[in-house]
Amino acid sequence: MAQASDRAFVRMEGVGHCYNPEGGPMAVQQIDLEIHRHEFVAVVGPSGCGKSTLLRMVSGLLIPSEGKVSVFEHQVTEPRDDVGIVFQKPTLLPWINVRKNVLFPLKHKYGNYSKADEKRADELLAMAGLSQFAERMPDELSGGMQQRVGIVRALLLNPDILLMDEPFSALDAMTREQIGFDLLNIWRDNPKTVLFITHSISEAVLLADRVLVMSQRPGTVLDLIDIDLPRPRTTETIQTPEFAELTARIRKHIYEPEAH
Amino acid sequence: MNQKRTDILPPKVRAWLMRYASAIFFIALVGLWEMVCRIGDIPNYILPSPASIFNAFFDVEFSRWLTHLWATLRVALLGFVLSIVISIPLAVAMVRSELMTRVIYPALVVVQATPVVAVAPLIIVLMGTGDPSRILITCMITFFPLVVSATTGMLETPAELVELSQSLRAPRYRETWQIRIPYAIPHIFSGLKVSITLAIIGAVVAEFVAAEEGLGYFIQFSTSFFKIPQAFAGLIFLAVISLLLFKSVTWIQTWLFPWSLPKK
Repeated sequence: MAQASDRAFVRMEGVGHCYNPEGGPMAVQQIDLEIHRHEFVAVVGPSGCGKSTLLRMVSGLLIPSEGKVSVFEHQVTEPRDDVGIVFQKPTLLPWINVRKNVLFPLKHKYGNYSKADEKRADELLAMAGLSQFAERMPDELSGGMQQRVGIVRALLLNPDILLMDEPFSALDAMTREQIGFDLLNIWRDNPKTVLFITHSISEAVLLADRVLVMSQRPGTVLDLIDIDLPRPRTTETIQTPEFAELTARIRKHIYEPEAH
Repeated sequence: MNQKRTDILPPKVRAWLMRYASAIFFIALVGLWEMVCRIGDIPNYILPSPASIFNAFFDVEFSRWLTHLWATLRVALLGFVLSIVISIPLAVAMVRSELMTRVIYPALVVVQATPVVAVAPLIIVLMGTGDPSRILITCMITFFPLVVSATTGMLETPAELVELSQSLRAPRYRETWQIRIPYAIPHIFSGLKVSITLAIIGAVVAEFVAAEEGLGYFIQFSTSFFKIPQAFAGLIFLAVISLLLFKSVTWIQTWLFPWSLPKK
């Protein structure tokens, strides 16, 4: 176990990116980060600071113009099978039902899927409490349920690494808190290495093992904070003084960047 | 309608009125037309009354109507199908490649900007007076809205779904087939609704230039013999067919792609 955790699942070394290939302002720069096995790392920062850019570079959808991103010690040059993505919006296909949406990555990648895959989809849906909605169409589900389907879809290919790009930002506050706890339960039953982008400080602290705080554009690392709150985390966690302290520390970074 | 107001009509009467308003208006309009013709004693060859148009319709043998209808419908539908077959692949090509857009799009705009009515005689000279030239004329009128709507629809596919496809490293044809084209379905059907009515116009234009049968030909021929009620009967028949075809597109959409209809 010790050995496995020594090996970084995700490693960023001096990573920076500029969207204009001819030069110009950097979106992110000088990012160094290691994410270990089954670790949950959240990234917070003001909007436009390049959080999503960071995620896209780990996913292989974007190749950084500076530095190096490695997954399992292999440099990322294209999307990998062992990385799953949950997007900001659930982006389910409106013309197929929930089960088929969950199976869509297989259908899309290989052209078909087996009975065993269907069984796995049903198991994942059951785990997310969506069994009775398997036959429904996406527009019959609430926003929170749709995003849970989005998470289940990302889990279907059983990725080792799960990238989540502000997955709950389109939800209302109450749904958002609930789905956060749902995600923690799913993560406890299916341990994954998670990179979670959010602009909610309390969400980051509630969910993550470590929080990376990013600066204004060009985004760079302001702080990397260990969140040693005990798990399982519940609504009570939010009321502890430690939680308040940690969120205050991050908030300070965001609102008084000149202090650093 | 959220504003508060006192309604003089009881809700039931109001609902009934809402339901039949367009029918009542239409009947009133036809009644007015009939009255103007009778009171004003307007001769039939200037403005025929609805009654004389009705009679003229039944004076023409039914089999003759069918012959003309079939001629027009055949050209309109084949032209319509041909423009679907041409425009969807063109749209796919333009969505997939910037280069193709640069090559194809200006040519499409040139074809669209050229008045088909003016080109129609040249096409007849080039291809003869048979169905093929009429189908081509119809196709030239109908394809543009289809290319534009299909392209727009495919380009409006959410970026995240395209990224999902890329992150799976799925083959490009599946991105087109399983994501982009289904996403474009609502747009494509808006285009189809415009195109199907244009198809009838295209077929009629072609018949005006050169034909021995068809509803357009029938209207032109009746007018030149001063059989104005008969021409009007042909015109109304044509309009009804056009409406039915328009409605059929909606039916097909409801039947095959119920999810693509706008949410109420």
